[in-house]
Amino acid sequence: MYKKILTAVNEHLNSEIAARYALNLAKACGSKLYICFIAEKGITKSSFEKAEEAMKRLFLDAEKLNIETESITETGEPVEEINKIVKKEGINIVFASTRREDIKRRFYAGTVARNLSLKLPCSVALVRVVHMGRVHPKDILVPLKARIDHAKERAYFTGMMAQGFHSKVFIFHTVKPITKFFHGEIHLTPAQWEERVPKDISNYIEQLKKCEIEFEGRLSPGHTSRSITIEAASRRHDLIIMGASERSMLSSVLKGNPVEDLLKETPCDLIILKPRHEG
Amino acid sequence: MKINNLSKEEVLKNLVTSENGLSEEEAQKRLSEFGHNEIKETKKTPLSIRFVKQFTHFLAILLWIGAGLALLSEYLHPGEGMLTLGLAIIGVIFINAIFTFIQEYRAERAIGKLKLLLPFYVKAIREGKETEIPAGEVIPGDVIILSEGDKVPADSRLIETTYLTVNNAPLTGESEPVPLQHEPYLGELIESKNIAFAGTAVVSGSGKAVVFATGMRTEFGRIARLTSAVEAGLSPLQKEIVKATRVIAFLAAVMGIIFFFIGQFIGRSFWENFIFAVGIIVANVPEGLLPTVTLSLAMGSQRMAKKKALIKTLTSVETLGSVTVICTDKTGTLTQNKMEVKQIWTFDNQQSTIDLLMKTAYLCNNTKFIEGQYKGDPTETALLKYARENIGDLIADRISEIPFDSERKRMTTVNIIDGKRLGFTKGALESLLPLCKYVLMHPVRNELSNGVNYRKIPIDEKLKEEITNAYHSAMDKELRVLSFAYSELEMHNSEPEKDMVFLGLIGLEDPPRPEVPNAIKKCREAGIRIIMITGDGSRTAAAIAREIGLVKENPIVIEGHDFIKMSDRELRKKLSEKEIIFARMTPKHKMRVVSILKEEGERVAVTGDGVNDAPALKKADIGIAMGIAGTDVAKETADMILLDDNFATIVNAIEEGRTVYENIRKFISYIFSSNIPEIVPYLAYVLFKIPLPLTIMQILAVDLGTDMLPALALGAEKPTAGLMKQPPRDPKERLLNFKLLSRAYLFLGPIEAAAGLFGFFYVLNSGGWKWGEMLSSNNILYMQATTACLNAIIITQIANVLACRSFRESVFSIGFFSNKLIFAGIAFEIALQLFIVYHPWGNAIFATSPIAAQMWFVLIPFAILLFAAEETRKFAIRYFMK
Repeated sequence: MYKKILTAVNEHLNSEIAARYALNLAKACGSKLYICFIAEKGITKSSFEKAEEAMKRLFLDAEKLNIETESITETGEPVEEINKIVKKEGINIVFASTRREDIKRRFYAGTVARNLSLKLPCSVALVRVVHMGRVHPKDILVPLKARIDHAKERAYFTGMMAQGFHSKVFIFHTVKPITKFFHGEIHLTPAQWEERVPKDISNYIEQLKKCEIEFEGRLSPGHTSRSITIEAASRRHDLIIMGASERSMLSSVLKGNPVEDLLKETPCDLIILKPRHEG
Repeated sequence: MKINNLSKEEVLKNLVTSENGLSEEEAQKRLSEFGHNEIKETKKTPLSIRFVKQFTHFLAILLWIGAGLALLSEYLHPGEGMLTLGLAIIGVIFINAIFTFIQEYRAERAIGKLKLLLPFYVKAIREGKETEIPAGEVIPGDVIILSEGDKVPADSRLIETTYLTVNNAPLTGESEPVPLQHEPYLGELIESKNIAFAGTAVVSGSGKAVVFATGMRTEFGRIARLTSAVEAGLSPLQKEIVKATRVIAFLAAVMGIIFFFIGQFIGRSFWENFIFAVGIIVANVPEGLLPTVTLSLAMGSQRMAKKKALIKTLTSVETLGSVTVICTDKTGTLTQNKMEVKQIWTFDNQQSTIDLLMKTAYLCNNTKFIEGQYKGDPTETALLKYARENIGDLIADRISEIPFDSERKRMTTVNIIDGKRLGFTKGALESLLPLCKYVLMHPVRNELSNGVNYRKIPIDEKLKEEITNAYHSAMDKELRVLSFAYSELEMHNSEPEKDMVFLGLIGLEDPPRPEVPNAIKKCREAGIRIIMITGDGSRTAAAIAREIGLVKENPIVIEGHDFIKMSDRELRKKLSEKEIIFARMTPKHKMRVVSILKEEGERVAVTGDGVNDAPALKKADIGIAMGIAGTDVAKETADMILLDDNFATIVNAIEEGRTVYENIRKFISYIFSSNIPEIVPYLAYVLFKIPLPLTIMQILAVDLGTDMLPALALGAEKPTAGLMKQPPRDPKERLLNFKLLSRAYLFLGPIEAAAGLFGFFYVLNSGGWKWGEMLSSNNILYMQATTACLNAIIITQIANVLACRSFRESVFSIGFFSNKLIFAGIAFEIALQLFIVYHPWGNAIFATSPIAAQMWFVLIPFAILLFAAEETRKFAIRYFMK
C-alpha cells in the first residue's frame, strides 16, 4: 500500500523525530523513502543548515536500515511544493510534524499541517512529538470511533508501525455513556460493553489481525479526549495513532474536537492519520 | 527501545545535542516547540459555570417557569400575593442550588502541592558554559548538572555520575536513597537506574544528565495529569438525588398540567388554574430536602472526625456506607508498623555464626541509636535493637554503601573491621541468594573476630533448597524475612556483592493492630470485600492475612511481576474471586486495580500515602489518605484522611456512612409524608369548589421551616442494630423506592391530609360557612381555617418525626428519649408554629390568623392516631416478616 513514503523535514527538531516514524514505516513496508526539505522564502542560513544536517542524519539512518532513500530540497511554499513532489513521484503517504504554534490555533486552521492534510492527494500522517525518551514505542494506543472509513488502510498503517517497532497495539473505543431520564447513567461492565462493539471496529480488528501483531482492546464510557489522555497516561502508552477529525467547524464548536484536544494534551507522541487509499 | 537502553553517544545523537549542551538559539526554538517545563492543571469546568449549572437542571427550569408565571400574574393581577410567591420560588431555587453546590464543591490543591516538589532554578550547560536557568525553561536536549540537595527539574538520562544517589519517594513511595549510574540499562524506563526523574531529589554525589521529557510529559507530570484529570464521578447519593429530583419534578409537572386542564374544563379562570398548578408543583417539590441532606452529611462528617476519620467532601460520608471493596495497604494500616525480631535461622545454629549474622544486621543498617532512642525505619530499628542486645555495640568504619531500593531489594555496606575490608549485605532472599557462592557452616579455624573460625561451603542446589525452605517456613509464620550475607574484599575490590557468603535469615514480625481482626470480621458480615495490596512477599502477606482473618482458605496471591504481565481480562477474572491478595506491589499498580473493580460496578475505597498513590486515590469512590504517614499530595487528593492510619477507623467510618444513608431515608420518609397534606387541599380546592385550604406560603412554611430541624434530628439517629450485618446496598436500589414512597404517600400522608382538612372544615363550620361559599383571601374566618389546616399538618408531623425514627423497630425499643435532638427539633417546630399563628409578623408573612387554644387539642388525636398506626404497622412487619 505504501510503496513511496515522503517525510518533510525542516530546521525544527520535531520534524526530524517525526521523520524517524516515517523511516520505521518505510522499513516495515519495504518502501522507498523521500526526505524532503522545502526552504521557505527568507529562511535564515542557520535554519537552512540545521535542516540540511537533519536530512543528512536521517539519510544515514535510512542507509543503515537498507531503505532506498532520496533527498529532495526545494524552495517555495511548502504545501505547494510537496504537492508537486507527491504528484510527480506518486507518493502514497506523507509524514509531517505539527508544531506547537499550530495547536495554539483553533482547529489548527491555516497551518501547514492542516493544509497538507486537506490538500495532498495522498494519505497524510501528522506527527506531534512531545516525548523524546521513547525511541521505539513499545505500546501503541489506537483510539477508534464507532464509524471508521478506510478501515483497511488504517489497520495496515497501525499494523506496519507496530511491526516495525515490534510494538503491542491497544485498541480503545470511548463510548457515550448510556443514560435514561429517570435512571441517570446506566453502568455496564466491560463484558456488557463488548457486546456492543460497533461493526466498523470489528471490521478494523479483522483487518488488524492480518498484520499478525499482538493486540488487545477495550471500550470505555466517558469524554473522548479526556478518556484517551487518561488511558495513555495511566498505561504508559508510547504512541497514539488516531484518525484525523472529520468534524465540521460548527460541530467542533458545539461538541468539541477530540483530535484538537489531544494535540494539546497528549502525554506521548501522537500520529494523526488522514487515509486516502480506497478499498 | 527507550532512552535508557542507549549508550551515551546514542543518547546525544537521538536528542540532537552534545555534551556542550544546546546553543541559546536552538534552546529558544525547542522551548517554543516543547513549551515550558511546568505542571499544569487539566482544564476543568470553572467554578462559576458549575454554580450556574445548578440553576439550569430540569427541576430548576420547572421552578423558574413557575416563578416567571407568578411574576407575570402579579404584573397582570396585582395584589393577589403572586409577587411573594414568585420570590419564594426563586428563593427555593437559590437554596437548592447553593446546597447542591456545597455538596459538590471540593478544593483541588493536590497540583499545587506537586508543584512544590519541582525546583525554581537549575544548573545547565548551554553553549559549552555552565549556567543557571529557570527550571521552567528546561527543554529536551538540555544538559543539566545535578549535585547534592538539587531537585531534578525534568526526566533526564544520566551521562555522567559520581556516587549519585537520589530520593525517588515522590515516584515510588520508597524513601531510601537510590544509587544511580550512567551505563545503558536494558530494563523498563521507569525502573531504570540511569534516569533521574523530575520531582526527585539528589541525596548525595553528583551527575550530568540530558533532559528528554519536560512538564506534563515527565513521569511526575503523568501523576499530576492523572490526579487532575481522573474523575470519580458523582457519588452514589448525588446520583440518587438527581434521579429522585427528576421523578419528583416529572410527577409535579404532570400533576400540575393535568389539574390545570381539569380546572379549565370545569370552568375555573385561567389564573385560578394557574395558581393551582403552581401550588401543585410547589407542594410536590420537597424544598427542604437538599438543605437537610447537606446538613445531615455535615453532621455525619463531624461524628466521623470524632472517630478519627476526617472527611473532605461531604458526599463521601454517604459513599463510605455504600463501599463494596476496600483495597488496603498492609504495613501501618493493618499492622502496627512496629517490627520485632522473632526468629533467627542459620545452617549450623552455632552461636559464632549467629554472632556474625548479628554483626551484619548491626553494620548493614542505617538506624542510629542516639541519646537512648533509635532513629530509623521500623525494620532496621528492630534489627539494630536485637543485634545490640545480643552482641553489644560495635565500632567499624563504613567505607561505602549501596543503599536499599525496592527494585534491587537489598542493601550493602563495606566496613573495615580489624584492618579487614568486609562487605555486608541484607535483603530479600530472591535478590541475595543468587549473589552467594558459599554458605557459612561449622567453625574450624581462626579467621574473623571473636577468635572463632569458619568454613565456607560452596552453595549447591540442595543447600539452596534448604535455605528456601527455611525462608518459606518463616514467611508462613507471618514473618517478614530478610537474608544476610557477607564478603571478604581485597583492599581495592569494589564489588562487595560478588561471591558472597550466605549467613542466615532473620524473621521479623510486624504485629497486626489489635482492633483489626474484629474490624475485618465486621467487614465480612457487612459483605465488604477487603483486598490487601502490599510490598511484602506473597507468603508473608498470605500468613498475616490468615492471622487477621482476611482470608480463610487458599487465597489467590498475585505478585507485582505477574500483575504487570496480566491482561485486563485475566486480572478482571482474578479480581472476581472471593479472596485475593496482591504482594510485591508498588503504588503505581493500584490505579489499575481500582479501575477494573470500578468497571465491574464495585464501589471502591482505597488507602494510600505516597505521591504516586494520588491517581488511585482520585479514581476510587473513596480515596483514603494516611494522616500520620501520608504525604501532602495524598492528603489533598483523598476524600478522607485517617488521623490514626488505622484500618479499624475505616470500618467505623463505613458504619457511620451506612447510618447516614439510613437516616437520610428516614428523614425523606418524614419530609415526603407532608407532601400529601400539602397536595390534597389543592385537589379538594379544584374538585369540590371549596376555598383553598392551604396557601403556597404555608406550604413553604412547613417545607423550609417547621420540618427542617426535626428532619435534621433524624439525621442524628443511632445506627439500627444489625446495620453492619447487611450486605452493601444494591447499586440498583433507589433512594426513593416503592416501600418508602408508599409508606409516606399512602400511609402516613393520608392521615396528615385528613387531619389538615378536618382542621380546616372544623374552623369553617364553627364560623358558619356553608358548602360552596367562596371566601376572600383576607377573610378572618378563611385565614383561621387555613391556619388550622397548617396546624394540623405540623401537629401530625410531630408524631411523624417520632414514627420515622425507625422502619421496623418500635420507637420504645430503640429508646424513646435516646435521640435528644428530636425533642429539640420538636420544640423548635412548636415555637416556630406559635410564631406563625400568634405573632403579627408570622400572620403577615404566612397569611395566618390566631386560632383558639382548643383547636390544638382537637387536632392532637390525629397525631396519636398516626403514631399508633405506625407502631401497629411496625409490629405487623416484625411479626409477619421475621
